[in-house]
Amino acid sequence: MQVGSGAVAAARLAAEKKDPRARRITAILVAPGTIWMILFLVVPMLMMVYVSFWTQKTFTIEPTLTVRSWVAFFSSETYFGALLRTIKIWLIVLAATFFVGYPTALFIGLFIKNKTIQTIVLVLCVVPFWTSFLIRVLAWRPMLGKEGAVNIVLQKIGVISQPIEVLLFTEFSVVIGMTQIYVVFMVGPIAFMLSRIDPSLIEAARDLGASTWRIFRTIIFPLSLPGVVVGAIFVSVMVLGEFATSGALSGRKVNLLGNIIVTQVGSLKWAFAAVVGVILTAVMAVVVAALLRLVDLKKEL
Amino acid sequence: MENRPLLRSTLAIYTVLFIGFLYAPFVVLGILSFQSGPEGGPQFPIIEWSTYWYRHIFGLTPPSRVAPLPIGEALVRSMTLAFATMVTSTVLGTMTAQAFRRRFKGSGFVFYLVVLGMIVPGVLVGLGIALVANTLGIPRAWWGTAFVAHVLYTFPFAFLVMLAIFNRFDKTVEEAAWSLGVPPMRTFRKVTFPLIFPGVLSSMLFAFTLSYDEFPRTLFAAGADLTLPLAIYGTFAVEIHPNIFAFGVLTTLFSFSLLAVYGFLMALSVRSAKKVAIQEEIA
Repeated sequence: MQVGSGAVAAARLAAEKKDPRARRITAILVAPGTIWMILFLVVPMLMMVYVSFWTQKTFTIEPTLTVRSWVAFFSSETYFGALLRTIKIWLIVLAATFFVGYPTALFIGLFIKNKTIQTIVLVLCVVPFWTSFLIRVLAWRPMLGKEGAVNIVLQKIGVISQPIEVLLFTEFSVVIGMTQIYVVFMVGPIAFMLSRIDPSLIEAARDLGASTWRIFRTIIFPLSLPGVVVGAIFVSVMVLGEFATSGALSGRKVNLLGNIIVTQVGSLKWAFAAVVGVILTAVMAVVVAALLRLVDLKKEL
Repeated sequence: MENRPLLRSTLAIYTVLFIGFLYAPFVVLGILSFQSGPEGGPQFPIIEWSTYWYRHIFGLTPPSRVAPLPIGEALVRSMTLAFATMVTSTVLGTMTAQAFRRRFKGSGFVFYLVVLGMIVPGVLVGLGIALVANTLGIPRAWWGTAFVAHVLYTFPFAFLVMLAIFNRFDKTVEEAAWSLGVPPMRTFRKVTFPLIFPGVLSSMLFAFTLSYDEFPRTLFAAGADLTLPLAIYGTFAVEIHPNIFAFGVLTTLFSFSLLAVYGFLMALSVRSAKKVAIQEEIA
C-alpha cells in the first residue's frame, strides 16, 4: 500500500515535470515576484557596493573608482568608533533580550499546559507591536526623563532622594528601549521550542533523581537552543540596522552605523554612506552565519 | 515541572512583571496625553486633566506657540501607499505561493530571494534604492521608490502566510472541480479562493499595517513629500509636546480598529464555512 501510493505520487510528479503547460504557468506565477526582488533588492545592494568605490565631490558623486571613502572610514576615530559601538550595543541588547526573555518563555512554553492560555499570554506580548514603531520608541522619553515615571516612582518609594539624570539620553536608555522593542522576538521562538518538549522526558529525569537545575542544564536548555538561535538572528538583524531608537533615545549622542548612514545621506555624502552600508551588511552576514553554525536549524525545526 | 510550585509561582510573577515592562511606556504615554495645554509639558505631574492636545491635533484649539502636527496630507499619503502596497503584495504573495505548490527548478533560490526582503535592514534597502534612482535620474517619490521598497518588505510576509495556507490545503477538492469540467478561473473563484480567504485576509492585514508604519525604508526613498511616520520623525528633532502622545494614542486606536475589522471578517468566514459544512451534512 505504502509503496503503491508512493509510486503513484512519483508518477504524477514526473508527469507534472514533463507537462510544458504546467511549467509555463509556474514560470508566469513566479516571474513577477522574482523580478521585483532582483530589480529592487539585489540590484540596489550591488549598486551600494559599486557606489562605495565612487569619488565623492562636495555635493555629488562621480563614477571614477577610488578607495578613498574606505580609507576615510577606517582612519576616522568617529566612524570606526561607530562600528565598535554598534557591535557593543548589539551584544548588550542580545544578552539583555535573552536574559529578560528566557524566564517568560520558560513560563509560557513549559508551565502553561493549556494551549488557549498559552496563546492568550503570547498575544498579550505581541499586542504592543500593533502600535506605531516611532511612538513605541518615543514612549520611553516620559518614562526615563529626569521628571519621568521611573524617577517619580523610585522617589516615592524612597529608593532615591534625587532624580537619576543618566536614565535618558545615554547608552542605557538606548539599550532599555531596544530591549523592550525586540525582546518579544526572543520570547516567541524559545517558547515555541519549549512547548514541544515531551513532558515524559522531564518526568523520567526526575524519577531518576535529577535535580531541577540539572534537568534544566542537560535537557530543557539544549532542546530550546534552536529557538534561542532563531530569536538571536531576529534580534541581531534588527538591532544592527537600527538608527531611530538610538537617535531618539540618546539625543543623537549614541551614533550607530545606521545613524552615520542617515547623517551622511543628509549631507549628500552618498559614497561614504555606501561604504558604511557595505560594512553593515558584512557585519550582519558574519553574525547570521556564525549563529547558524551553532545549530543545524533545518534538522532541528 | 508542574510539581515545583515555588518555581512556578516565581516565574508567573516574573511574567506579569515582564508584561508590565512591555506595556508601561504606553500607559505613561496615554496618561500624559491628557496633560493640560498649551503650557503643560510632556512630563509629570499632570497639571490638570484635559483633552486639549487631542483637540490640538484636529486644529480645534486657538493658535498657540505649539505648532500643529504636520499630519493632514501625510496621513492621506500613508493610507494610499498602504492600500497600494497591500493589494500588490497580496497578489504577488498569492501568485508566488501558488507556484510553490508544484516543485520546480530554482524554487530554493526564489524562496531565499523573497525572504531576504524581510531580513535586509530598512536603512540599507532605502539607501540602495535611492542610489539606483539617483544614478538613473528617477525622482524619488512616496508613490514610486517608496512604494517599491514597501512591497519589497510586505510581499515576503504575504508569501509566507499564503505558503502556510496552501500547505494545509487539500488539492483533491480542486482536482474534483476540474474533473467535473469546471473551468480554471471559475474553480479558483468558487473553490480555491474561499479556502485561501483567511490567508488572503491575514496577508492584507500584515501588508497594510507594516506599510502604514514603515519608517527606515521610506526615509531615503520617499523624496520631498513625507509619509506619516516621516512627518512624526520630523517632530522628534525639536522639542516634543503632549500632542505627539495624543497622536500616539489615536494611531494605536486606529490599528486596533483594523485588527477588530480583521477579526470580524475572519469570524464571518469561519461561520460561512461551517454553514456550508452543515448544509452538506443535511444534504
